[in-house]
Amino acid sequence: MRVRRFVLLVSVLGVCLLLLTLQTRGEGATAGQVVALVTTPLQTVLTKANRAAVGLWTTYLDWKNVRSENRRLRGEVEQLRVDSLRVRETEDENARLRRLLTLRERLPLATVAGEVIAREWSWARALTVNRGRGDNVLRMTPAIAPEGLVGRVVEVRSGTSIVQLLTDPASTGGATVQRTRTPGIVEGEPRGTARFKYMARDGAAIQIGDLVVTSGLGGVFPKGIPIGRVSAIIDRGSALFHYATLTPVVDFSRIEEVLLLTGQSAQDLAAHFPGER
Amino acid sequence: MRSALLLVIFGGGLAQTTFAPALRIGDITPDIPLVMVVLLALRRGPEIGCLSGFVTGLLQDAAGGGFIGAQALTKTLVGFCVGQVGGRLWVQEPLVQIPGLVALSLLEGIARFLLLQIFHFPGSFGDLMLYIVLPQSLYNGVVGAAVVLTLAGVERLRGWPSWR
Repeated sequence: MRVRRFVLLVSVLGVCLLLLTLQTRGEGATAGQVVALVTTPLQTVLTKANRAAVGLWTTYLDWKNVRSENRRLRGEVEQLRVDSLRVRETEDENARLRRLLTLRERLPLATVAGEVIAREWSWARALTVNRGRGDNVLRMTPAIAPEGLVGRVVEVRSGTSIVQLLTDPASTGGATVQRTRTPGIVEGEPRGTARFKYMARDGAAIQIGDLVVTSGLGGVFPKGIPIGRVSAIIDRGSALFHYATLTPVVDFSRIEEVLLLTGQSAQDLAAHFPGER
Repeated sequence: MRSALLLVIFGGGLAQTTFAPALRIGDITPDIPLVMVVLLALRRGPEIGCLSGFVTGLLQDAAGGGFIGAQALTKTLVGFCVGQVGGRLWVQEPLVQIPGLVALSLLEGIARFLLLQIFHFPGSFGDLMLYIVLPQSLYNGVVGAAVVLTLAGVERLRGWPSWR
């Protein structure tokens, strides 16, 4: 038994040494080919099995990870949506402020830009602006937007002012139809529009779509600021005056910033509102 | 039984080129055939140790593209020697498993280097030991211990006698 072991060992070692010797004599290729003949098919099978096992494991891991990844991606999508909205909002604000700045630079009078921080939207129609006594804002200071007239300041506080919108029922101001130069008075209406009143019958050549601007009379609003467009003409037959309903050029529900006209100007400002002709 | 044994020997020999890369840590892979040869030699004696060492070594030589017969020879010696003296070792003791396999791996590395010197192998002994043989020996120790403990655990669960 013991001898058999050693015979086996010596034989195996002999084969090994024979193989090594053959290789040193340049016969290595043959030895390698013989061994490869046996190993290659087995290696191929094992590699396939290995790949299949790894593939199965990877599939399992993918399946396991897909839920958490899905959750993470959903969160990421939400975050990106919020970011996108924020960017869009910033872009909108940027555009608004740029228009306001352009108007401010064009106007030949002193102005203060203010941000709308609150809105009153029931019986009274007013905006609260973050400019007050310390910013040279006085009562009756006109408030405008790049599109046209917003209203006037009716109350000044230390850091804020209340701007009465021109659609407030208590708001009145001198106005003119830009095309026909028909004078009248613009008054606010509870339904959110404005009424162009005291329009003489002979001046009733106005048409729907005509632009009504401030007349400059009354000493509150400078001349030529767009107020609104005629949306309906109410013909009162033989009455002395007609009136028209105006749709304001400024969308008060969406306004975010205003310019407060702290200086005065006798000039017609219509040329500074090119979009409202 | 014999076919199972052959399957283990061939499978273990070829596992080095197929499964071992998956166990790579840094640039080091364990020498799975060597671990397997040692375990078989301990369990089945010097003949099986010798033959399994020869076959797995030969397969590794063929896969490595180097001198065919070098690893076959060293692993044959390892399998035979472990089979001869294994009966006197208490190999389930972790204190024996890890250092034992590490020492065997180191010895096998040194033996292979000396053998290849006859054929003017160009590698430096220091570099080979430091970057390949020593890390691989440590890895073999850990892998071997894990395999021994797993086998012992499985056998205990199934109520089989000790794996030796």
